[in-house]
Amino acid sequence: MTAVVPAAGGVPGVDVAPPAGLLRTLSRHWGFRVGALLAVMLAALAVIGPLLAHGPNVTDYANQLASPGAQHWLGTDGAGRDEFARTVAGARTTLGAAVVVFALTTVIGITVGTAAGFLGGIFDAWVSRLIDLLLGLPSLVLALAVVGVLGPGFSHLILAMTLTGWAGLAKVSRSYTIGARQRPDVTAARMAGIRTARIFTGHVLPGAAVQALIAATLGLSDTILGLAGLSFLGLGVQPPAAEWGSMLNDSQLYDTVAPWLVIGPGLGIIVAVTAATLISDALRDCTDPSRA
Amino acid sequence: MLRSSAFRIGQALVTLWVTSVLVWALLLLAPGDPARTVLAARGVADPPPALIAATRRQLGLSGPVVPRYWHWLERAIHGDFGTSWQTGRPVMEEFAARLPATARLTLTAMLTAVTLALVLGLASAAAAGTWIDGVIRTVTVLMVVIPGFLIGLFVLDILVVHLNLGRIVSDGSWSTVGWPAATLAIGAAACWARVLRVSVLEARSASYLLVSQARGASALRRLFVHVLPNAVAPFLTVVGLGAAALLGGAPIVETVYSWPGVGQYTVQAIDARDLPVVVTYTMLAVATYIVASLLIDLALAAIDPRLRRQRARRTRQRPVRVAT
Repeated sequence: MTAVVPAAGGVPGVDVAPPAGLLRTLSRHWGFRVGALLAVMLAALAVIGPLLAHGPNVTDYANQLASPGAQHWLGTDGAGRDEFARTVAGARTTLGAAVVVFALTTVIGITVGTAAGFLGGIFDAWVSRLIDLLLGLPSLVLALAVVGVLGPGFSHLILAMTLTGWAGLAKVSRSYTIGARQRPDVTAARMAGIRTARIFTGHVLPGAAVQALIAATLGLSDTILGLAGLSFLGLGVQPPAAEWGSMLNDSQLYDTVAPWLVIGPGLGIIVAVTAATLISDALRDCTDPSRA
Repeated sequence: MLRSSAFRIGQALVTLWVTSVLVWALLLLAPGDPARTVLAARGVADPPPALIAATRRQLGLSGPVVPRYWHWLERAIHGDFGTSWQTGRPVMEEFAARLPATARLTLTAMLTAVTLALVLGLASAAAAGTWIDGVIRTVTVLMVVIPGFLIGLFVLDILVVHLNLGRIVSDGSWSTVGWPAATLAIGAAACWARVLRVSVLEARSASYLLVSQARGASALRRLFVHVLPNAVAPFLTVVGLGAAALLGGAPIVETVYSWPGVGQYTVQAIDARDLPVVVTYTMLAVATYIVASLLIDLALAAIDPRLRRQRARRTRQRPVRVAT
């Protein structure tokens, strides 16, 4: 891994600025600053929240549907559970699930994409066909089909989001890998007699990984919206676990007497998706030369 | 043109077929014995083995998978998607009863979204860099980040229940389609407006525009002859695919408003583990999506001569004629 990858151009539309430069450009982008601030705040809330609030599943039937106040900041739900505690627990669930989907899709995408691009041949032909097929299908419908056939459940929901999400990332890292194979530094390394595995890990994989990570970040807001939407339909987290989408679903039962039950999970979703959208917009501005 | 269209149609059919194979592969992974589930749903708590076997035969679940799949495919091509495990009625009948409501919702939402997107996107591109552009861009970001079911809950909770601003009746007719369609349209409109803004700005910065301005072409001619035809391709693509994707968003909005369409029906079927309904919904939604992307491709080929020539050049190489 001692090889220095030159930031040479030559393959249009494939190269990006090296990560260090990208981070510096990003940190000057106001949208990225706001998005990152929101993301850090949400993550902090998810981490320290349990210290501030009662347990998310502590029922208090004497205090059902209490309005927001000093004791229960966001009121209580139909079982007397503290809404603030559940919103914080929901942040852990949703953000945790988004992180799991993000990690799974990038790992699968990078592995499949670089393997197809580097190996070529029949393997590449079939993998590309599968990728194009998956990309040509509506992802929300596919996710609904996976959950619908396997049955409602949080692990099935994560599986559904992963199965529909990896293809785009594989496509990106595959096209980077194919471009990288013709780059001067890779040719030079091959002529110098460096082993193929070493060329792959030193010259191809880092760039392909950056590409896939960028693409995965661009899809993060869709992931969060998909998780919340399918959970809202009752197809994700099962009770009594707290999740924003399913909390909103529960709140419909009490919309005439306790409209404040929408506030916590609703704000949670909006803040999370705003953070993801601002960060991905900034990332697109900084990596897409045509939008600079 | 004809040959490339035929190729594209064949490709679409293959995609549809592979999707059905994928869905059937998923069915093999489905946990639990469907026969037991169905019997439990019919109120038989502890069925004897003979009854289970009979139910399996009745549901078409006995025998090896591959012949069962071909049998299903043969009937599906003829429009018969089997019977619902819940009601015992043909799935297509259940869908046919609910499709008009979903079609009304999706059509209205699409028209609303296209109009909104055209207004917002063109205004934003025309005023690029000014405060109007800034306001529109902020509004479209807000429209993107607030999911449809949250808007629906807000409309129902605040506007209808607490402020008494009208009533929501969801009977699936044209007269009650307003709120659900608006809810479904907002996210798509914002997304399309953003695409339109970028592609108009891109088309406007092209160098041929500078040339035509230098040659004295009027602003209107530049807009209609040079900018819009070049900006319309990305917009048409996202609108076409987005329209089909609205069908994917329909289950959520239909559930919020209790709109009696196929989306809500499918969500209920998922809860009841009624797999034939789930399979049928998936195939119909995917088919709609594939047909939409097929139509877009053909339309783009009609608009953009480059797309036609590319294909023709690959299939038949003309000898270069040298003038003598």
